[in-house]
Parts: sequence; structure tokens; C-alpha cells
Amino acid sequence: MSSLPLYVLLFWACSALAQLSVLARLLSNGNFRKLPLFTAYVGLNLCQVAFLAVVYSIWGINSDTTYKLAWYSECAALLAGALATTEILSVTLRQYQGIWGLVWRTLTFTSTLVVLLVALAARGHWATAKWFELNRGYHLTFAAAVIACLLVVRYYSIQVPVALKMILGGFCLYSCTEILINTVLQSLLKRAFYAYQPIWQSSTMLSFIVVQIIWVAALWNPLRVEARPSAPSSDSIYKRLSPEINERLRELNEKLLRLWKLEARPQ
Amino acid sequence: MNFPLLLLFVFGVLLALLLAWVLSDPRKFTMPGGDLSSTEDMDRRHVTYFPQVRQTMAAQDFVFLASRGSRALTRRVRKERRKIALAYVACLRSDFLKSWRLARVIASMSPQLGVSQELERFRLGLAFSWRYEMIRIKILFGFAPLPELGSLSDVVSRLSIRLETAMNDLGERAALAAKLASSLHGRGLDTP
Repeated sequence: MSSLPLYVLLFWACSALAQLSVLARLLSNGNFRKLPLFTAYVGLNLCQVAFLAVVYSIWGINSDTTYKLAWYSECAALLAGALATTEILSVTLRQYQGIWGLVWRTLTFTSTLVVLLVALAARGHWATAKWFELNRGYHLTFAAAVIACLLVVRYYSIQVPVALKMILGGFCLYSCTEILINTVLQSLLKRAFYAYQPIWQSSTMLSFIVVQIIWVAALWNPLRVEARPSAPSSDSIYKRLSPEINERLRELNEKLLRLWKLEARPQ
Repeated sequence: MNFPLLLLFVFGVLLALLLAWVLSDPRKFTMPGGDLSSTEDMDRRHVTYFPQVRQTMAAQDFVFLASRGSRALTRRVRKERRKIALAYVACLRSDFLKSWRLARVIASMSPQLGVSQELERFRLGLAFSWRYEMIRIKILFGFAPLPELGSLSDVVSRLSIRLETAMNDLGERAALAAKLASSLHGRGLDTP
């Protein structure tokens, strides 16, 4: 632990504090009942901080064991993050069965495509930077898939509660910054990994702290997930909209028919 | 920085930009006059003015004015008519966007979505936007794009037919659901 620079330790402390704040907001507002997987993810992140503190103090920062254990713990945190994101998307879209089906397909398709692209890009120098490639590959897949889902949600004009939007945005923001940090640092300082390790640690922690602050703001008030009538084909919205849209389309058709006839007539 | 890393960097920046856009408030980008009641009157006006709009693109008027020797007047009339044609095409686009949005609302209410149908509608939207931009550019540069206007209206027409089919489908489902609910309810009442 003592071999870490002071500013990295400071960032670490701030990150732990921010995560504790998020957990406190989740527990005090009762939001953990609505987002159990997200709560578990935040809890797991805190456990990871404690785990890394123990590992660093036993094996030191530059040992291979520390390196492997740190990345294993990161894998668990990333997996929990993916599950938490799926939970938030499902909370947002559970009322829209059709859209949720489409989003699932979008997730699968985008993830497969990006995984293939990442595997293609990492071909050749896989052994040298395995963990970095895996980490960046994960973040690329994750960010692309979640943004694709958000695009589908926006396309269908579905109102996502601001708090959930902020949480999803936080996840994506972190992934985007991870991609950029890993890529830039890998290309600029690849010959001296241990020299730039503190820079990498502090920059990733800084982005993580920013995301935690966004989440604290998002969870400041209890979450309100609005319930929509569950029988969409027979609800009042449909009955009200149906004749209105039919009338509107009839007029549109007439207008176009006339447009077509006018155009077809010789000048 | 080698090529794959550069590609990754660009991809990361693009994702960040896309994230900012997708999280921004969509209401900021909506066009004015989006409610249904106000558009009904507008549509009637579009239909009424179509012959005049077509006239704005006819070459005869300009030939006539040029033959009278008034070059300044010809230029002014051309400029004004171009504005009118542009406004008409913009209104047509507005109509399309409203119908498109309604179709998405219908789709979001439906418990099952046909992927091919959704993709087809998305493709229609892209095709319409492309044609609209082409026509706009042509009008701006002073060409008379009547054939393109025809293809544009064709897209609107196809979308309307698709919307009608979707609405009928939803109507049938609603009737079936209501029938099922009432029969279940009735059975419960009859049971001693």
C-alpha cells in the first residue's frame, strides 16, 4: 500500500467515500428494493476496495499475484455491473413488452458484433496485454450495447425516469472514459507499464468518482417508476388514440392521392 | 498510435458523443406544432395550395417574364417561389414525421413487435429524409423537382397504409382481449 503514490491513495479514499454515499442513498431511500442488483453491485465495489487493500498490503503492488487477483476482482465487478444495467433496462421497459423484446435482440446483436470487432482488433498481440484488451473489449461491448438500447428507447419516445437515465449514463460514461484512457495510455506509454500505472489508476479512479457523484445525485430522492396500464391493446389510451389516428391517416391518404393525381395529369 | 488503436480511440469518442446525444432531452429537437388537432387544418391548407406550389416550379412563367424584359422581376419572382416551394416541402416532411411518431407510439403499445416491420418503417424514414434533403437542395439550386416530389409522396402513402394495417391489427387484439376478459368474468359470476 505504501508504495502507491499519495495522490493515488487520496483518489482511492475519495472513491470509497463516494461509493459509501451511493450505498447509503440506496439504503436510506428504500431504493434498494427497486434496484436489488444495482445495490449488490455497489456493495460488491466496496468489497473490492477492501479486498484490494488487503491484497496490496500482503503481496505488495508490483507482484504477479496482486496483478492477477486485482483483475479477477475486476471481472466480478464488471459482471455485476452488466447485471445491474440489465436490471435498470428491464425496470424501464417491463411495461413495454414489445420494445423489451426488441431491446433484447439489439443487446445480443450489438454485443456479438462488438466482441467480434474487438477480437479482430486484438489479434496478434493478445498475449502481451491480455487483461487490458479484455477490459477494454468489455467496456466497448458494454457501452455500445447500452447506447444501442438507449437509441431504441429514444426512437420509440419512451420516457425514462431521470434517475434511471443518470444511472445508465454513469455506467456508459465510465465505460467510454475507460476505453479512451486505456487506448491513449497504452499507445503513449506501452514500453513502461509500471511507470504509468499510477497515472492509469488515478485517471480511472477519477472517472469512477465522477460517476459515483452522478449516482448520488440520481438517488437523492426515492425512485419513482411510473406504472403504465398492463393491457396495452385494450386500455383507454388505445381507445382514445385509435379513431384520432385513423382519421388523421385517412386525411393524409386523401392528400397524397390528390398530390399524385395532380402530378400524373399532363401539364 | 497504430491503426487499430486509433480506430478504438475514434470509436470511444463516437460512443461518448452518441451517449451525450441519446441522453439529451428529445423535446429540444421536436418541431413546433406537433399536436394532432393543430395539424388537421395545416393538412387542408397543404392540399389547397398544391396547384400553386406546382405552378411555382413551372418554367413558363419565367419564360414569359423574361420575354417581357424584366430581369429583376424574374429574379425576384423566382426567389419568392423558391421560398414557397421550400415551405411546402417542409410541411410535407412535418406531416411525415408526425405520422412516423404516431406509428412508433402504436408500436410501443403493442405487446409484440415484428422486427421486419419495424426495420421497414425505419428504412422508410431514412428514405424519406434522404429524398427530402435531395429535393430541398434541388429547389435551393433552382431545379424543378416534380418527379422527386412524386416519390416523396409515395413514401408518405406507403407509411400511411402500414399505419392503417397496424391500427387494424391492434384493434382486433383489443377486441379479442376484451372478449376474453368478459368471458372469464362471466364464468366467475356463474359459479355458485
